[in-house]
Amino acid sequence: MNELAIKELLYTLADNQLILGHRNSEWTGIGPILEEDIAFSSMAQDKLGHSLAFYTLLHELGESDPDTLAFMRNAAQFHCCHLVELPIGEYDFSLIRHFLYDHAEAIRFEYLAQSSYEPAAKVAAKLRGELKYHLLHANTMVKQLGNATAESISRLQQSLNYAFPYALGMFQPSPYEADLASSNIFPRESNIQAQWLESIQKILAQTQLQQTAVHTISPVLGGRLGQHSEYLQPLLDEMAEVINIDPSTEW
Amino acid sequence: MLLTSLDPRINRLQVPADWPNSAVKKQLDQWATYEVFTQKRENTPYAYVGPVHAPDLEVAFVFAKEQYSRRAACFGLWVVKTQDIQHTPYVDDNESVFNLLNIPAPATASEQSEAFEIFMLKKRGKAHTHAGTVLASGYQNALAQAKQQFGEQIPCVNIWVAPAAKILKSSEEDKDWWLTLNEKKYREPVAYKVLDKINAFKNRTTNTP
Amino acid sequence: MYGGGSIFEPVKLDELAHEDPVKLAEFEARIQRGEKIEPDDWMPALYRKQVIRMIEQHAHSEIIGALPEGTWITRAPGFRRKMALLAKVQDEVGHAQLLYSAAETLGKTREQMTLDLISGKSKYSNVFNYPTFTWADSTVISWLIDAGAIVNQMANARGSYGPYCRALERICAEESFHLKYGHDAVVYLATGSSKQRQMIQEALNRWWPPIMTFFGPADKISAHTEILMRWKVKMATNDECRQQFLDMYVPKVWELTLTLPDPLLRKNEAGTWEYTEPDWEEFKQVINGKGTCNKERLAVRRMAEEKGAWVREALLKPEATYVKPLA
Repeated sequence: MNELAIKELLYTLADNQLILGHRNSEWTGIGPILEEDIAFSSMAQDKLGHSLAFYTLLHELGESDPDTLAFMRNAAQFHCCHLVELPIGEYDFSLIRHFLYDHAEAIRFEYLAQSSYEPAAKVAAKLRGELKYHLLHANTMVKQLGNATAESISRLQQSLNYAFPYALGMFQPSPYEADLASSNIFPRESNIQAQWLESIQKILAQTQLQQTAVHTISPVLGGRLGQHSEYLQPLLDEMAEVINIDPSTEW
Repeated sequence: MLLTSLDPRINRLQVPADWPNSAVKKQLDQWATYEVFTQKRENTPYAYVGPVHAPDLEVAFVFAKEQYSRRAACFGLWVVKTQDIQHTPYVDDNESVFNLLNIPAPATASEQSEAFEIFMLKKRGKAHTHAGTVLASGYQNALAQAKQQFGEQIPCVNIWVAPAAKILKSSEEDKDWWLTLNEKKYREPVAYKVLDKINAFKNRTTNTP
Repeated sequence: MYGGGSIFEPVKLDELAHEDPVKLAEFEARIQRGEKIEPDDWMPALYRKQVIRMIEQHAHSEIIGALPEGTWITRAPGFRRKMALLAKVQDEVGHAQLLYSAAETLGKTREQMTLDLISGKSKYSNVFNYPTFTWADSTVISWLIDAGAIVNQMANARGSYGPYCRALERICAEESFHLKYGHDAVVYLATGSSKQRQMIQEALNRWWPPIMTFFGPADKISAHTEILMRWKVKMATNDECRQQFLDMYVPKVWELTLTLPDPLLRKNEAGTWEYTEPDWEEFKQVINGKGTCNKERLAVRRMAEEKGAWVREALLKPEATYVKPLA
C-alpha cells in the first residue's frame, strides 16, 4: 500500500468537501426561499461530515486529529481546487457550483466505494445515499431554473461560463496517479472527467443552457499542489478565528 | 454606505446601510403549497407532517425531504399538492365524521375507478394518518368506499382524500437517503453530556484554597 | 426560539359584540373541553387575529433569530461546534417555515407576513436586536434563549389552535438538541482557560438584561389578556414563565461559579425569585426600533428577499394558484 499516495488522495477529498461545505454554510439563514435555505444547509452539513470522515482516516494513518487538520493548516498545505474556494456569489453561482461539483463527487464516491483501500471504500459506500439526494437536488433546481425565465437562464448561463474553467480544475491529477490507478485505489482523473462531462451534459441537454466546447477552455489548476486562489487563506483565517484565541484548549 | 456587521458573511454580501425606499418587495412568494407525509418506522402508516411551498411536485418533494425528514428516523416520503386533496369538515373529538356526514352508499365500482389514498384524523390537534387505499370513481365515491372499509374506526374527526396517482412517493431505492441519519449525532441531545465536566470542575474549584 | 409576553396588544372586547352568541358559546365550550380548534372551524374574528399575530411573530422570531447566531457559523471552533451550530441555525429556519405554514392556515399568506416583517410592521422577539460580539454570546443564546423559548413553547403547545400545537410539538423535539448543545458549549468555556471564562462571563453580563425581558413585561403592567387565557391562546403569564426559567437555569449558571449581573437576584423563602425589575422603558424603545441591531436585522432580511426574488419569480407558475395549507 502506497501510504503517501493514499494520504494525498484523502487530503484532496477531505479538503474539497470541507471548503465547499464551509462556503455553502454561508447561505444558512439567507437563502432565496425558506425551503431551499434548509436543503442547502443540510447538504453543507453533509459535506462537512464527509470531510470529517476522510480526516478521521488520515488520523488513523498517523496524521493529526481532524480539528487540527481542518483548522490549523495554512492555505499552502491544502489540496482543494479553486472552484470550492470562490465566494458564494449570487445563488445562481452557488447552485451551478453545487451542480458541477456534485456530479464529479458522485462519480468519485462510486469509484471509491470499489477501492482496494478498504477504509475509504467503506466511507464512500455508506455516504452514497446522501450524494444521491445532493444530485437530485442539483439536477432538479438546474432543470427548473435552466428552463424558466430569460433572467434565470441568463444568470445560470453566466455562472456556468464563469465556473467551467474552475470546474475543470477539479480533475487535476494526483502526483501519485499512476500508483493509485495501478493498485486499484483510485482511477485516473481523466476517466472521471470524461464521465463527469457525460453526466452533466445529460442534464444540461434538458435545459436551455449551452455548454462551450471543453477543449477550448483551460482549466484553473494548482489547488491540489497547494497553489490557491486569493480566497482560501482569508477563509481559513476566518474559520480558525475562535480556535486561534487559544489553540491549546478545548472549545 | 454599506452596513457593517459582526457577521463576516453579511459583510461579504455588501448590504446597503440605508435600504432604498424604492426596493419594495415584489409579490412573488405564493408558490403553490404541497402537503407532506412521512413514514417514521417501517411498516407503519404514513403520517402528516406539514406543508412546503414549491413551484411543482418534483421540487416540493426535494424540499420536503430536508424540511421533514432530516431530524428523525424516516423510511418513506409522500408529497401531494394541497389542491389535490379533498377533505371533510371537522367534527367533535370522540365522534365519527363518517356517521355525521351524509355519505351515500357507494355505487358499484365503475370502469373508470382509480386508487385514492384515505387519511384519517383521530383527534383534533393530532396528525392525519394513512388509513388505506380505496378504488373509486371520484372523490365522493372514494369517501363512500372509505366509509365501508374504515367506517368502524372511531373516533375519526376529519378525513382527507387524495388520488394515489397525484402523490409523489419515494421509492424503495430512495431509502438509502436516510441510512446515515442515525450517525448525525451532532444534532442529537444525547451527544452532549457535560455532567462529568461540571463535576470535575466543581471538585477542582472546591479543592483550591 | 421565541419569548412570549410582549406581543399582545390590548384586547378590545367590543370586537366580540358582532359575533354570533350561539357559535361563540360552542367555540368556547370546545376549548373548555380541551379540544383543539382546527382551521375550518368557526372562530371569532378576534381569536383569528390574535392567533395569527402570535404565530406570525413567533415565525419572524425564528427567521430573525437565525441571524445573531448565524454570525458565528463560519467561525465555530472545531468540527463538533461547526456542524452543530449550522444544524441549529438551520433548525431555526425550519421552525420559521413550520410556523409561517401554521399561520397560513388562518388565511394570512407567507408573502404578506414577510412583507409585514421587512417593512417593520410586524414585531419579533426583542432579544434578537442585540449583537453577538464573541463566540461566547452565541453560546449564551443557544443555551439560555433557547431554554426560555422552550419554557414558553411547552406552555403554548397546550394551547387551543391545532396547527400551532402540531408545529410546536415538532419544534420542541428539535430544540432539546439546541438546549443541550448550548449548555455543553457554555460549560466548555466556563470550565476552560481563564480567557474562555472571561469570554463567557462577559457574554452573560451582556445578555442577562435582555434575557430578563424575554418573557415580556411584568404581569402587573402588561396588556389585559384574560380572554386570551380563556381561549388558550396565551397559556401562562409572563411572570410565571420567567419564574420557571429562573428556577431551572439560574442554579445551572451559578454551579459554574459564573455570576449574573443582578445584585438582587435570589430565591426567597417562599420559593419565588426576586430580581431587579428590567428596564421596560428601554424594552419598549428597542421593540420600536432603537436597538443596536434592529436596522441590520431587517436590512439583512430585505436583502435576502431581494437577492432571492429572481428565483421565486422564475419558478412562479401562473397556472398554480395558491391555496392555504390544510393543517
